[in-house]
Amino acid sequence: MSTEKVGTITLLSNDGMSVSVDRTVAERSMLIKNMLEDLGEGAITSDIPIPNVNESVLKKVIEWCEHHKNDPPTAPDDDSDSRKKTTDIEEWDQKFMQVDQEMLFEIILASNYLDIKPLLDVGCKTVANMIKGKSPEEIRKTFNITNDFTPEEEEQIRRENEWAEDR
Amino acid sequence: MRGPLPTMAPINTIPYRATPDPEGDSQSSSSNSPARQDYAEESDSAFYAGNNDSQSSIGVGTFQDMAVSGEICEPPANRLPAEVLIGIFSKLTNPQDLLSCMVVSKRWARNCVDLLWHRPACTTWNKHGFICRTLSLENPYFAYRDFIKRLNLAALADGVNDGSVQPLSVCTRVERLTLTNCDGLTDSGLIGLLSGSKNLLALDISGDRQITAASMMVLAEDCKRLQGLNVSGCIKISNEAMIAVADNCKFIKRLKLNDCEQLEDSAISRFAQNCRNILEIDLHQCRMIGNTPVTELLSNGQSLRELRLANCDLIADSAFLNLPPNQTYEHLRILDLTSCARLTDRAIEKIIDFAPRLRNLVFAKCRNLTDAAVIAISKLGKNLHYLHLGHCGHITDASVVKLVQACNRIRYIDLGCCVHLTDASVTKLASLPKLRRIGLVKCSNITDESVYALAQYRSRQDRHHVRVGDEIYLPGSSLERVHLSYCTNLTLNSIVVLLNNCQKLTHLSLTGVQAFLRPDLEQFCREAPSEFTEHQRSVFCVFSGAGVTGLRRHLNHLPAHGSMDDFDQDTVEDPDDDRTMTGMMGATAINADEDADADGDEELEDIDGNVGSFGGPAT
Repeated sequence: MSTEKVGTITLLSNDGMSVSVDRTVAERSMLIKNMLEDLGEGAITSDIPIPNVNESVLKKVIEWCEHHKNDPPTAPDDDSDSRKKTTDIEEWDQKFMQVDQEMLFEIILASNYLDIKPLLDVGCKTVANMIKGKSPEEIRKTFNITNDFTPEEEEQIRRENEWAEDR
Repeated sequence: MRGPLPTMAPINTIPYRATPDPEGDSQSSSSNSPARQDYAEESDSAFYAGNNDSQSSIGVGTFQDMAVSGEICEPPANRLPAEVLIGIFSKLTNPQDLLSCMVVSKRWARNCVDLLWHRPACTTWNKHGFICRTLSLENPYFAYRDFIKRLNLAALADGVNDGSVQPLSVCTRVERLTLTNCDGLTDSGLIGLLSGSKNLLALDISGDRQITAASMMVLAEDCKRLQGLNVSGCIKISNEAMIAVADNCKFIKRLKLNDCEQLEDSAISRFAQNCRNILEIDLHQCRMIGNTPVTELLSNGQSLRELRLANCDLIADSAFLNLPPNQTYEHLRILDLTSCARLTDRAIEKIIDFAPRLRNLVFAKCRNLTDAAVIAISKLGKNLHYLHLGHCGHITDASVVKLVQACNRIRYIDLGCCVHLTDASVTKLASLPKLRRIGLVKCSNITDESVYALAQYRSRQDRHHVRVGDEIYLPGSSLERVHLSYCTNLTLNSIVVLLNNCQKLTHLSLTGVQAFLRPDLEQFCREAPSEFTEHQRSVFCVFSGAGVTGLRRHLNHLPAHGSMDDFDQDTVEDPDDDRTMTGMMGATAINADEDADADGDEELEDIDGNVGSFGGPAT
């Protein structure tokens, strides 16, 4: 760790709570990292508002960043990463993602907003694993999604995509 | 003072770049695919929806996305923005799962349809039929044809004809088209597919022998972004047609023109002049190719990485001696000059001087080469990983020893038919720490001494007392494939040690080695290739995969009442056996070369991990 990065910053969640975090940990978020770089050292003395994320989610995200703070940085278009398939979620991350669905989607939204690609990736993989092998009706039930197709439209989609069926 | 902090960027300025390719191996598709960009955007701001799907989905999309602000009653899954949904769908590799997602809701369908159709699986005729049926619909729910970026009919190659590709010709956004070995395909079918495909990046029609210049002219006219072209075995394609391709498709990076017998210097020169980004070119068996285009390919193509000229037997020293002085080719990694029999040491010395970072070198059957060439090659030092000098019969121990000293990262070496080599060479080669494959076919001077060295068998004083079944396991041995056919001095003793010490061994060939022509070993031996004669079959002795494991187990469980020496002598002393074998050996000597080649069967297929990357225009 380089010495210049040592320091604590304070994030302000959208429900008005302050959360202190090591700068190196917070910089797993490219949004925060870029912002701190743009603003220079002055920014560190003031609270940084995170208007889209509430305290409980923010803390959860920080927990992930804390655990992964020493991960090697991934290249922006690192294909080798996306080559890893859905089932490849490291054990710690799997446990980390064992939360209720509301929190799971909140983590995904926060990691998307804060631009923490590896966390977003883990989140997407987790949801994909929940989809795998399920019928459309089971998926709708799992995620509480309303079917807005008419029966005719649904039948049309099925027929036009029949090649994709396992047989 | 608390400085005014900038407003955080809105969500959609931090794009989550979903990889649309379920295989994850196409960077080009994600960046070059206008449809994907449009679509992600469309779903994001639903007002742009419906550039090609049904009207009915627009209103719903808008409603859903608006509803995000009143999130109380909204299920959390509906709050995910389109790019995150796409990110989730892109992790699904099974089309059935994507299909299930398509049926869930209109919003899900819109965000997953192009992933599903990115590369429709034409793996059976049944699926092919369904795909074609959908593409022929007048009013499909989605404009599926525009989502197709990859088409691969290789799995159906045997039955593909013009009729079976005609319905696919409506897809004009295809980036990769793979029609390997579709021998029934003619120009009329292929032209339909190529016409208007201005996004085409890679075309593989290798083995499509009916294709002629007519298709190549359309390719040249319509597919100017082409980066990868494989027309190997398209024997009807004319020299003029390839000149047209070279003049129009200037972004070509990878070219495979194997067996295109009509190609002359003029076409290859045109590629060298026009396509400055060529990374790989393979002219295997383009027998009319001479020195000039080779010189041009090297001197013009500063990014040339792989140059394969096997069996281009007109090529001589001047192809390399005429290169401009003081120029180096830092990118050149792979050079295959198999059977360029006119080459001499002078050319090799020059090659090594101008391409110091060569990694894979194939000079098999460059029969003029001597120790001087090997000494030159040793200048590559650590860069050299792969070296094939089979049939370079002048080579002696002196240069091989020097080579090993200088190039200690060699992983693959073939010295088959280098008949002067002795145990001195192999003992040295055995010290290579990363050696995975060694070919010593017909190096008939070598003895058990060599095999013990390869087995890293260190306690030599005990060697003559090794009992069958003794555990001598050195985990360090990296050897995977060992070719010792026609090394006639070898005995069972050393091979047992090799088998036991090299646990990674997957291939061992001992064709024509008397000690191994025993009925009890036949069960582990691979089936002889069908084109072999009766005589060749009777001496064929190759163990691979499970055969190696079986052989190891069998030899270790032979009756342990005596030493291997005793056992071996018993076998050899059988007079009948002896006579039979001698007779067979004589017969096979006639086909010496073929045998050596059949034995080194993998010599071309595993040259480099990158061989398989052909057609990947992105790197």
